[in-house]
Amino acid sequence: MAMELDPVSLEILRNKLTAIAEEMGITLQRTGRTLYVKETADFGTALATPAGKFFAFPVGIGVAGFVDLDCATTVSSVGTLEPGDVIVTNHPYLSGGLCTHTPDLQLVRPYFHRGELVGHGWSFVHSADVGGKVPSSVSPTNTEAYQEGLLIPPTKILKRGEWNEDFVRLYRANVRTPEVNLGDIKAMIAALEVGQRRVGEVIERHGLDTFFQAQSDLIAYAEAKARDAFRQIPDGTYEFWDYLDDDAFTQVPVRIRLRMTVDDGRIHLDYTGSEPQTLGPFNIVTLGRSHPWVTLRLLAYAVTRDPTLPVNSGVFRNVSVTLPEGSVLNPVFPAASGIRTASGVRCYDVVNGALSKAIPEFMPAAPGGNIVPVVLVEPPHPDGRRPVTVIQFMVGATGARRGRDGTDGRDPSFSNMANNPIETVEAEASVIVREYGLRADSGGAGKWRGGAGQMISFEVRRDGCQLLARGLERLRFPPWGAAGGKASKLTRVVLNLGTERERDLGKLDMVTVNRGDVVTALMSGAGGYGDPFERDVEAVLDDVRRGIVSVEGAAVDYGVAIVDGGVDARRTAELRAARPATSSDGFDFGPERAAWESVFDAEHMSRLGARLADLPAHERQARRHALFRSIEPRLMVPATERRHAFAELFADAPAVVAELDRLLEGDAA
Amino acid sequence: MAERAGGYRIGIDVGGTFTDFVLADPATGAIHTFKEPSTPHDPSEAVERGIRAMLEQHAVAAGSIDAIVHGTTLGLNAILQRRGAATVLVVSRGNRDVLELARCRMPSPYDFSLPRDEPLLPRDRVFEVNARCDASGEIIARPQASELDAVAERIRATEAHAAAVTLLNAYLTPSLEDEVAAALRERLPGVHITASTRVWPEMREYERAMLAVMNAYVHPMLDAYYERLEQRLRAIGIDADLYLTASNGGTLSVASARDRPVDTLLSGPASGVVAGCQLAARLGLDGMVSIDMGGTSCDMAVAEGGAPRLTTRAHVGEFPVIAPVVDVSAIGAGGGSVVWVDSQGVLKVGPRSAGADPGPVCYGRGGTEPTVTDCFLVTGLVDADAFLGGRMHLDRAAAERVLAELGRRIGFDGEDAAVRAADAAIRVATAMMGTALYKELAQRGVDPRGLALVAFGGAGPTQASLLADEARLDRIVVPLAPGTFCAYGAMQSEVRRDYVRSLRVRLTAAPAIDAVRASLAEMEAEALAWVSSEGARLAAPVITRSADMRYAGQAYDLAVPLTDADVEADAAALAERFHAEHARVYGFPDRESEVEVMTVRLSVSRALPPVEPATLAPGAGTPQSLGTRALHVRERGVEATVYHRDALHPGHRLTGPAIVEQSDTTVLVLPGWDGTVHAEGALVLTRKRGA
Repeated sequence: MAMELDPVSLEILRNKLTAIAEEMGITLQRTGRTLYVKETADFGTALATPAGKFFAFPVGIGVAGFVDLDCATTVSSVGTLEPGDVIVTNHPYLSGGLCTHTPDLQLVRPYFHRGELVGHGWSFVHSADVGGKVPSSVSPTNTEAYQEGLLIPPTKILKRGEWNEDFVRLYRANVRTPEVNLGDIKAMIAALEVGQRRVGEVIERHGLDTFFQAQSDLIAYAEAKARDAFRQIPDGTYEFWDYLDDDAFTQVPVRIRLRMTVDDGRIHLDYTGSEPQTLGPFNIVTLGRSHPWVTLRLLAYAVTRDPTLPVNSGVFRNVSVTLPEGSVLNPVFPAASGIRTASGVRCYDVVNGALSKAIPEFMPAAPGGNIVPVVLVEPPHPDGRRPVTVIQFMVGATGARRGRDGTDGRDPSFSNMANNPIETVEAEASVIVREYGLRADSGGAGKWRGGAGQMISFEVRRDGCQLLARGLERLRFPPWGAAGGKASKLTRVVLNLGTERERDLGKLDMVTVNRGDVVTALMSGAGGYGDPFERDVEAVLDDVRRGIVSVEGAAVDYGVAIVDGGVDARRTAELRAARPATSSDGFDFGPERAAWESVFDAEHMSRLGARLADLPAHERQARRHALFRSIEPRLMVPATERRHAFAELFADAPAVVAELDRLLEGDAA
Repeated sequence: MAERAGGYRIGIDVGGTFTDFVLADPATGAIHTFKEPSTPHDPSEAVERGIRAMLEQHAVAAGSIDAIVHGTTLGLNAILQRRGAATVLVVSRGNRDVLELARCRMPSPYDFSLPRDEPLLPRDRVFEVNARCDASGEIIARPQASELDAVAERIRATEAHAAAVTLLNAYLTPSLEDEVAAALRERLPGVHITASTRVWPEMREYERAMLAVMNAYVHPMLDAYYERLEQRLRAIGIDADLYLTASNGGTLSVASARDRPVDTLLSGPASGVVAGCQLAARLGLDGMVSIDMGGTSCDMAVAEGGAPRLTTRAHVGEFPVIAPVVDVSAIGAGGGSVVWVDSQGVLKVGPRSAGADPGPVCYGRGGTEPTVTDCFLVTGLVDADAFLGGRMHLDRAAAERVLAELGRRIGFDGEDAAVRAADAAIRVATAMMGTALYKELAQRGVDPRGLALVAFGGAGPTQASLLADEARLDRIVVPLAPGTFCAYGAMQSEVRRDYVRSLRVRLTAAPAIDAVRASLAEMEAEALAWVSSEGARLAAPVITRSADMRYAGQAYDLAVPLTDADVEADAAALAERFHAEHARVYGFPDRESEVEVMTVRLSVSRALPPVEPATLAPGAGTPQSLGTRALHVRERGVEATVYHRDALHPGHRLTGPAIVEQSDTTVLVLPGWDGTVHAEGALVLTRKRGA
């Protein structure tokens, strides 16, 4: 669709309409009351067309990644829309994927001008709790949406500006923190009101026709600019897959598989071959449609190519998707979705990988792949206080790309949130933070080094505390290196590291810790780019001086000998002459992927997928598990308990493959 | 020595291109302005030259200068350009990456080609010592002498000239940092050492560390600068009290500024806002928003009740400044903003700026891309021969050429392509500034309705009525000398310093209120001791206090001003003050929740004797005009009456469209606006009813 406004009016309207979405976000942030609004910025605002597509989205205020959400199902589910109505929903399925997990309360207000529907205002806030099985509503042990809180289908929370008191009563009775949530709901309503007022002012000044034209022109503008960016990807089909470590209930990895086809700036993302929906809450409710969690990396790519790109739904007019029903990326109700972030992060990596195959000179290696809140739940104090403290949101780093090292200890891929000061943490929780910083040698080696991941080590000062770290990833499959660069170190969480009581906590869900225990979380860094033995010797020396790379790491990973704080040129030349071979396709996925795929390669997984395809969606995972159990019972050990190395389990891979073949044949028969 | 009471005062503002001077005679209210080209290699050179020239021009004896108030961005530039001293940071063991991690944010959530700012100090300039407190303030690690010897040895090896010390939880027990700092001073003679809790003892280790690091980083350079400046003043024969402008809108004696140069980093834009506030107050205007627009920047700020609004969330580049500073935000890139057309044929303004060099095409210094200043020229808003009072001729033909070419790319043909393109760019720039202004006001929770726009800087008065129409502001104030307004503001500022204590106490227990009172008393004693040595000519000290409070378990604080009565009140009464403030801001109190006092704050100020500006000779009717000029504004050609500012007197009225030329700017009065002249010379523009 072509743009019809003149190039001056379009730019003026783009500024004004984007600013409205931003002013809404600022209003929400200023008037909201919870940590989610004030500190972690887990909220959003935007302006949508009457059909429900975003045409104006804030830059740098709230969650950046939700541009590809769609309000259409939500606004068409509540009957007649009237001025002053506000719709609320948190139902991932009945909101048409607008809500991506139950704690995100979504509010949509239809905007009217002289009685005519002219668009919608949208806002959401992550709530502390919406009821359900556990406080905070999200748990890796949830297996159904019903356990994840009160499910609110699109419902009018305000009718013609009046509160729907019946709804509010029902809501209060079903959530653990109603007052706090209602405070944030009021802030959202205030933000939506600001949007309505400003939209009215724009229409008064520029006219309704111009306002409507601006909506479609801005979407067309974003589409055209993004298409220019996508045209810089050579036409072709690019395949890539990556894994979640496991589904928490077993050792079996969750594969996200992508076939990306680029044709003259149009992109098709075919996720066929991704795992069946998981028992645990790692599913992304897309209903088979384009959705931010599966497309986000394309937005980052396009904005990096063209920073002037107006960020709105037009970008995704160039994108189509195939998301097979019953898969982890298109589950069937009532599959749980509380921790869909983990799968979303992996989709992000997979799109990044496919783009890396197409344009290796432009894309970075894999980022750290974690956003994990490390939480301490304390027993009640004498005064009744029971602190539940996020000790830190732990992240990895950004991947290296051609010409630039990754960034150490920061990763905005999913959430560009601020960390917690040590002094605040110690004032709130009974801990002493022994160390919080960068994890030396964790960044993937490369001509350009992957960013070093974060680490934290803290001492617990009370007995009977519970430690939570939900969504931990990259404990088995590291963030990969590209173009000859190396993978990063794996994530580890260890109790009492370096003592006799040392214990690897693996993929913990919840663990009891006591006074004197020291918890250490070592996050994976990011992948390196290019052959590390070609890295500038001075850059390696600088890393060693700054303590990001150890002397030993410099020798082994980079072939650079550092002696007494300087480079030993002769020894370096010798080390570099004996460089190890790099992989043929340029990626380094780490040894466990090779061990897993020595049995469960693409061909066998496709056959397995085909065998399961005829079963109802919710039965597929059980059938798969039965098959894995008969091949190797230890695959059924919950990942939260311990981790078995695939290199050990499949030491005799040919024998296991033979058994797998027999079972697949048997099933067929 | 002659009696100097009622002697002269000088305000000085050092900019990138010009150093501005204001000379005031408080006895008569006479105010003179002067501009001298800046000397970036040593700004005090231009200061000396300017003062000498001005004293000679107005036949004022050097000995009759009472006070000099000086603003400089030397420290700010040293940080932005990474030209400070070799500096190290000493931290508690385990906190080595405090600068590397900072607050973990990246500049863009999408654009993976944008790097973060490099930390001010690299990781190998950060040294750990076994020294820290726990969250109750108890010292749980204290370094041995041998450890301090070893750290000092490592610092010596870096050849650092300055060091900062920041220890975990030391905001509760500053003595630990004092101990470590003293031990290092003893071992490292010649190295200037800043302890973070002596600069700003607030909770949050990264922010506190950055204030200390920035202080250390600029200290040697500013120390040397102040030394040179004092020498030069002495050479002229001036023996005045010397003050430096501070980021909080106040001033500091040169001794205090030498001790804590970090307090002056963001003083540049602050002085103009102070002057704007004072002007609005003299005109009886309640709320004001100021815009300060020059060649490379356009800043806004808000004032209510006659005082500039302060913030504790300012930044120097990427680095946070949590001590209160005047809340100034950029809403555009100024006259140098580049005008361009993107791949889809859409007209864009900025964010790139041609800066001062090469600058706009019309400057003829090699600029090839059209800028907003070129657009002002081509549309007739600015006169090629009247720019900077005629000291700099502008090349209108060159600006027209590039704008005509740009116009063709957005579909403008014919002879007026350049003019239409220029007008279009100004409309886009104005819309951008208007939306940025609204966002900044929303951030501050300020309603734009009823605010007066105080416009200064070389381009502010040209842009003001366009912006006011866009943002629906009904009144504009243009000071008499908008080009030297910051220097004027500097001269009028009070001596001021802020103090803080982090508490985190619940108002339920009796010790809580004792802790609040003890902190306030401690700060007050410190403040009065400090301010007593800031100068002999100052008025009596004024103390203000406030507390940042929150409901227990919530994530946000509200600042509650405390009266003398509040300080004496009990815990319940103090909690009630918070409930009332919460009700005012959020519409309801939550009396079920406990109230926590997070932070208490105190400020002390002492004013210099006020300068009462002289009133101008009255005029009547319509002022004498210089003729008319054709403008192209908002897609229309209009014929504007041109006046010279010198011809405007109190009692005169003018009606838009009009242009007021003056040596330091051009004031645009759009159709629909009327102008009057205030007794002291400020031009007040008011939107006509219904316009």
